[in-house]
Amino acid sequence: MSMNALPILKLRHLLADVSDHGKQHLLRVESDLLQTTYLLNKAIEDLSASFISVHDSVTKQQQILDSLIEQHHFNHEETKQLEVFKQNIVNEVNAVITGLQFQDLTSQLLTRTVNHVNGLKDLLQELVTHDDSVIEGNEQEQLISFLEEVDRKLHASSHNLAAGTRPSVKSKDMATGDIELF
Amino acid sequence: MAKTILAVDDSGSLRQMVAFSLKAAGYDVVQAVDGQDGLDKAKEKTVDLVLTDQNMPIMDGLTLIKNLRELGSYQKVPILMLTTESSDEMKAKGKAAGANGWLVKPFDPKRLIEVVQKVIGS
Repeated sequence: MSMNALPILKLRHLLADVSDHGKQHLLRVESDLLQTTYLLNKAIEDLSASFISVHDSVTKQQQILDSLIEQHHFNHEETKQLEVFKQNIVNEVNAVITGLQFQDLTSQLLTRTVNHVNGLKDLLQELVTHDDSVIEGNEQEQLISFLEEVDRKLHASSHNLAAGTRPSVKSKDMATGDIELF
Repeated sequence: MAKTILAVDDSGSLRQMVAFSLKAAGYDVVQAVDGQDGLDKAKEKTVDLVLTDQNMPIMDGLTLIKNLRELGSYQKVPILMLTTESSDEMKAKGKAAGANGWLVKPFDPKRLIEVVQKVIGS
């Protein structure tokens, strides 16, 4: 059997192909995730700016209204209605502030996913990072040794990847978080 | 004179929402983009309260708290964590580092103001 036909060489070639194809796809995933993060950030940034601007105008409008109420005699029903509208605005403003924070949470999840994608690329790189030498006549042992080396590297990389990522955001609804004073 | 709060978070939108809520309640707000920036700004001017995220680049929230507590001027200034982290283990680390409270994101503006008022007054 010639050296080029040794199963260990074929195995290395196969692993190199798996690594290359995998990394190409992961690059596209990473690119899409980064674009998603950019678009989400931009959208929320613009929404936040508009929201603050609207709130500013509503606040000024409210000040004028308060002044008019002081100067003119509104009937009880009208004053009561204005108070209801005022409270509704406060409630909606609070809801918007809570809602806009979910961009931060989703952004954290996207960052975590991008880190995982990068970690997977490193994992795939481990499939092609090894000693290329082949000693004739000792193929069975070399094959076992090679597979053990790849297995060991994959475990180490996987462990590092898991240890290096932030904890996942667990929120499943729009509820606000707990508060604890020490 | 309005009390000053240092808001530290690497998320621009989160900082914006925190600052918006606190300013609407009459507080002055200084913003910092990470722990190191927060530490630098805290040294420039002693604030009345620090509100910090945990997971940030360059310097995280726990390290910021430890550094602040080593400064003479920040030994008694209240520090609250505002973070997505909610495990008891992290809360214990925060308490040990010198945090006075733990708020889990997302925050409700009304409740945030209530807590701030409770800690430093109006």
